[in-house]
Amino acid sequence: MTVMQSGGSRGPSPTGLADVIETILDKGMVIDAYVRVSLVGIEVLTIDARVVIASVDTYLRFAEAVNRLDISQEKEGLPGLVGGMQESGAKHKTRGMLDAATDKLKEYGDNGRERQGARRSRREED
Amino acid sequence: MPASTREKSKPETGQQTGVYVYGIVPGDVKLNSGVHGVGDPPGEIRLVRSGDLAALVSEVDITKPLGTPDDLQAHQEILDATVTDAPVLPSRFGAVLTNEEAVAAELLDANHDEFAAALRQLEGRVEYIVRGRYAEQALLEEILSENSRAARLRDRISGADPDATRELRIQLGEIVNNAVANKRQNDTRDLLAAMKDHCAASLVRTATNEMDAVYAAFLIEVGQVGELERVVQDLSDRWRGRVELHVRGPMAPYDFVGNGG
Repeated sequence: MTVMQSGGSRGPSPTGLADVIETILDKGMVIDAYVRVSLVGIEVLTIDARVVIASVDTYLRFAEAVNRLDISQEKEGLPGLVGGMQESGAKHKTRGMLDAATDKLKEYGDNGRERQGARRSRREED
Repeated sequence: MPASTREKSKPETGQQTGVYVYGIVPGDVKLNSGVHGVGDPPGEIRLVRSGDLAALVSEVDITKPLGTPDDLQAHQEILDATVTDAPVLPSRFGAVLTNEEAVAAELLDANHDEFAAALRQLEGRVEYIVRGRYAEQALLEEILSENSRAARLRDRISGADPDATRELRIQLGEIVNNAVANKRQNDTRDLLAAMKDHCAASLVRTATNEMDAVYAAFLIEVGQVGELERVVQDLSDRWRGRVELHVRGPMAPYDFVGNGG
């Protein structure tokens, strides 16, 4: 895998297990429920990093971050917008597949924070 | 989307192993021996062929839980390693069939025409993810400079008792939050517009971090990688100090198959 980094160097690189989870648990071809067999453990896998949900906690945290700013040097506004939104979606859709896994991948917001990892409520050996 | 068939068949009594399916590839693909996949112990990767299609599989013990970080990494690494040589339809993590006969008959044969057509469309194409994070301080300064109401609120809470100004803080935070969402939308639009002529398809991923600036998947021809890198470099220069961009790939086309997301 090639990782190309651009731009500044602030903050940690957003790669690793969280990216893998967002890719292979949330994307990819879902195989028809009829031909699958049950697999211990898969049902309880959940993604709780899916959606950013704003809450009062988020607002207070933003306000605190703003309050800490030293705004002696304010910046100019941004350049204007370019072009139109193009969201072409899943063009090469493979039909005939049933979306059997989505109902197991519950989506949680976590007060707007990202939690990096899948949660497994029973992971011990049987 | 059909939603009526959520029930999964139970494993037959006494069945201990299943066949884990990583993805579908053309039937002429060759495999290096000694590559191991998911499970404990990890099963060796095999090909189940039927006609001009093949499935990348390995045997798993279905009495044990699956889904350790190693399992997740193995699933993606096997698919991403494949896509540079051959088109692949990646399965979502966790697809297990009864046995290799079921893979050939119920998966490959039963869906032959759709799989073959999808693989033809994906020939020579790979997925890249472009993700950008805002630099928080630069972003907040930008928002204050553009929004006089936010700037006034900031002046009012500055140095004040946090408890006494809680409502004002919530108001300020909400303005900031909405401004970030607007900027994310605008920046994503700029990225998609810049990539428009350099990809076969694009898909905006849902932001999963409040500092996400852009998060999108692109299906590109292998020969377009240089164009992608130029677009990202140009945007990176334009957004210097404001957004940090990362590119991941080549990857299997997870965002461009199936009905997920």
